[in-house]
Amino acid sequence: MGTTADLLPGTLDMLILKAVSLKPLHGYGVLLRIQQISGNALAIPQGSLYPALYRLERQGLIDAEWGESENARRAKYYRVTTAGRRRLKDEVAGWKRLTGAIDAALAATPDEV
Amino acid sequence: MAPRLRFFLRGLFRRRHFEGAMSDELQFHIDAFTEDLVRSGVPRVEAVRRAQLEFGGVESVKEQCRQSHGLRLADELRQDLRYAVRTMARTPVVTAAVIVSLALGIGANTALFGFIDAVFFRTVPVRNAHELLFLAHHSGPAASSNYPLYERYAAVEPFAGVTAYLVGSFRVEQAGGVEPVTGQFVSGNYHDVAGVPMTLGRGFSSEPDRDPSRALVAVISDAFWARAFGRDPHAVGRTITVNGRRVEIVGITGRRFYGFDSQSRVDITLPISVIGLDDPAFFDDHTGWMPLRLVARLKPGITEAQALAAADNAFQQFMGEPEQQWVRQSPNADRFRSAAFLPAARGSDGRRELTEKPVRLLVAMAGILLLIACANVANLLLVRGASRRKEVAVRAAIGAGRARLIRQFATEGLLLALCGGLVGLPVATWTSRAILSILDGGPTPFVLDVTLDARALAFTTVIAALTGISFTLVPALRATAGSVALVTALRPSESTLPRRRFPAGGHVLVSSQIALCVVLLVSSGLLARSLRNLKTLDAGFDRDQVVLANVDTSGPEFSPGRRMTLYDTLLDRLRFLPGAVSVASSTRTPIDFSSRNNRIVVHGVNPVGFHAVSPNVVTPEYFRTLGIRLLRGRVFGDDARADRPKVAVVSESMARFYFGDEDPIGRTFALGSEDSITIVGVVEDVRHEQLTESTPPKMVYTPLAQSTVPRGVTVMVRAAGNSRALEGAIRAEIRRLDPGAMVSYVRTMDQQLDAALARERLLAVLSSGFSALALLLACVGLYGTLSYSVVRRAREIGVRMALGAGSATVLRQIMRQSLMMVATGALIGGVLSLWVSRALSAFLFELSARDPATLTAVITLLLVTACAAGYVPARRAARVDPARVLKAE
Repeated sequence: MGTTADLLPGTLDMLILKAVSLKPLHGYGVLLRIQQISGNALAIPQGSLYPALYRLERQGLIDAEWGESENARRAKYYRVTTAGRRRLKDEVAGWKRLTGAIDAALAATPDEV
Repeated sequence: MAPRLRFFLRGLFRRRHFEGAMSDELQFHIDAFTEDLVRSGVPRVEAVRRAQLEFGGVESVKEQCRQSHGLRLADELRQDLRYAVRTMARTPVVTAAVIVSLALGIGANTALFGFIDAVFFRTVPVRNAHELLFLAHHSGPAASSNYPLYERYAAVEPFAGVTAYLVGSFRVEQAGGVEPVTGQFVSGNYHDVAGVPMTLGRGFSSEPDRDPSRALVAVISDAFWARAFGRDPHAVGRTITVNGRRVEIVGITGRRFYGFDSQSRVDITLPISVIGLDDPAFFDDHTGWMPLRLVARLKPGITEAQALAAADNAFQQFMGEPEQQWVRQSPNADRFRSAAFLPAARGSDGRRELTEKPVRLLVAMAGILLLIACANVANLLLVRGASRRKEVAVRAAIGAGRARLIRQFATEGLLLALCGGLVGLPVATWTSRAILSILDGGPTPFVLDVTLDARALAFTTVIAALTGISFTLVPALRATAGSVALVTALRPSESTLPRRRFPAGGHVLVSSQIALCVVLLVSSGLLARSLRNLKTLDAGFDRDQVVLANVDTSGPEFSPGRRMTLYDTLLDRLRFLPGAVSVASSTRTPIDFSSRNNRIVVHGVNPVGFHAVSPNVVTPEYFRTLGIRLLRGRVFGDDARADRPKVAVVSESMARFYFGDEDPIGRTFALGSEDSITIVGVVEDVRHEQLTESTPPKMVYTPLAQSTVPRGVTVMVRAAGNSRALEGAIRAEIRRLDPGAMVSYVRTMDQQLDAALARERLLAVLSSGFSALALLLACVGLYGTLSYSVVRRAREIGVRMALGAGSATVLRQIMRQSLMMVATGALIGGVLSLWVSRALSAFLFELSARDPATLTAVITLLLVTACAAGYVPARRAARVDPARVLKAE
């Protein structure tokens, strides 16, 4: 397992949006893709993935369609919608602002106080 | 928003599909994970276990998915609906009563909505109807004009186009003979400018109206196409004979387009150039003014004010010309002051003026009916809500929140309302059919398309939903108010029930229902009595058992000789019809919607100003046939021939007006183009133009044999027995004598009068219907409230009977309660109706709006009905068996 980090609350949605914005994926594919692009550094409880997908679908941020998987089984593929792309952009910007601020705060030295 | 609603509905209706898809998806995940583990070297059994373990509990994931998919609301709604259906099925009588109450209220309102929609709101189905304007001048919507004026307007710059139409009755040859069909002559650009939709073929192309070379074409309406051709797709190109000319059908207009004249339903349209074939002077007649209506379409971007200024300029120029001098000097000069616009989007609005007031009255009545129905429903649900306290307490105890409980009640209410709305639709259809059948044949025929369309459905849905929510809220709030301790609620004694005799509110509801009911009953009673006054009014003639048939011989193929032969032989033939007592003909009949005035100069009477009398040309037997009594002198006989001195019979009013107390017999006057006519007799006054007219017209009857041959007469036959049997015989006789003559109508005098009373009859019949329903509903309400009170007080009644109260005492007591409610309602209603009925006085004929007889009759009727409704539960109370009730404790 090595060094994995727990997800911060609220970040799973952003990661799912990011994953499906690269390419339409089925649920399991979303999981694999997040692990892959995060360099296996994030631990995602598998069961929590689906409620998040259903919530995003209901919010109209992703679309679902049944298709055929790599091993020729019927699978539900998720694709980001225009609204989802917009949301992803906002969330990424927000995230960068947040991490930037936190980084700056953590980098503070006694001189600067 | 949209996907949420979609998911909600999908969750509601495609639940099984959702569940299946979700299982498949999760299973796919677990399987794919297992395969990956196997591929990485984990033994299959171990892989399956690990995949399941890492995924977590499938059921709990599913539940989370359902929640995040927004299914909880849908699930609860489904529960609520199922529960509501079960509750409704458990109390079928209350449910049926509620649904029927609502159906009646909603149905009546929907029908009236359809009616109002058709009269007031529906636009003529043409392209961009709101851009169209009637060109009028100050005489209002029925502005007259003529072709030269139309040409002036057509040249006005800010108009994208101006067109003209002239509505009339066309004689059309059909299988059964010549039939009257409503038609119009239109300018060649009519279909273009107005943007008339075509079902088949084309409209007229914009050829100059003055060129008659291509005038023999026609456009027919969709309805005429169905009637005459059975919607034969090859009808375009066929010919029909209209006004004696063969014309080729070039197009069929779209459904629901019947021209711009809301008082007629145009079936055949001919180009105006066809008028030029008979009357080439038509296009240059500056002095004649006729009901030629002008419709203009504004150029885009031009304001009405700009267009009006330009139009008025053209109009003023036209009116300034020497030909119009007589108009400028006529008493009506004021009506030709300036050009004016009227909106044409909804057609000409003569009918709206005529129907607005009665319709408003009916809307108010239907609204009251709906209120009563709602009160009824609220009452019944209140009663049921009170008896459901136990259930509510149990549900609250096991954790249902108040909001959830109220939602449950609201669901039930909506479901009931929707059922009521559904059942109300046939009621609405039936009511609107009744409205139309009553109005049919009135002075302005009601050519309405009162079909229930999407708008009416939307309307019904909205009122159903509104009533549903409003009448369930009160019972819901009451039933859930205060936390009734479960223990108390479950105790089987009466202590679970509020300590009132009636469910609070029920009493008030019944009384207000009764009060509203009184208002409706009084109104309808007044209207019905007024109608009876009109029907039994002595109009100066005997209306019973007279058949009228109008013969139209206005075609160019008729010479005066042919006309006269027809009129003469027709009367001779009709005399020999079995059952014919007397036979006559005339140019007009009383209350036939005609209005005519002729200038008169009475010799020896100072001619002050312009005098007019109402003329009628009749055969000698006219007076006997209609039962108009002779007061002085004699009726002209067969001596009144063309070669003899001209004679006339005048009415009492005419004689009194010109001669006062002097003897009018032998006096002479000039009428129209006749210089000297001698009065030979005076007859009784007749109400000729309107039944309600306060001053009878000054009638002058001249003999048919001495006047220019009219282009149509009405023949009338007084029958010994059943007059209706004669109708077919008269029609057949006319056909046989001259197949070219057109029978415009055959009807009894009674029907003719009824048609004139269409408005009054509509009001009387509908309001009586409404108030009968209101009475029925109020009785159901009273019955329901009392029955419930009796059931709840069974124990108390039992105790009292055990202590010696007789059943008569109990009966009396319950009846007293019932009467109290009714009396309170009746009192309030009586006062209300005194106030409300003032609005009715405009509709009443020779009747006071505070007619005491009507009020007394209404109250009596109400008391009797209410006693009957109260008696059943009261008797049930009197039959309570003390032993059984007390044992039940």
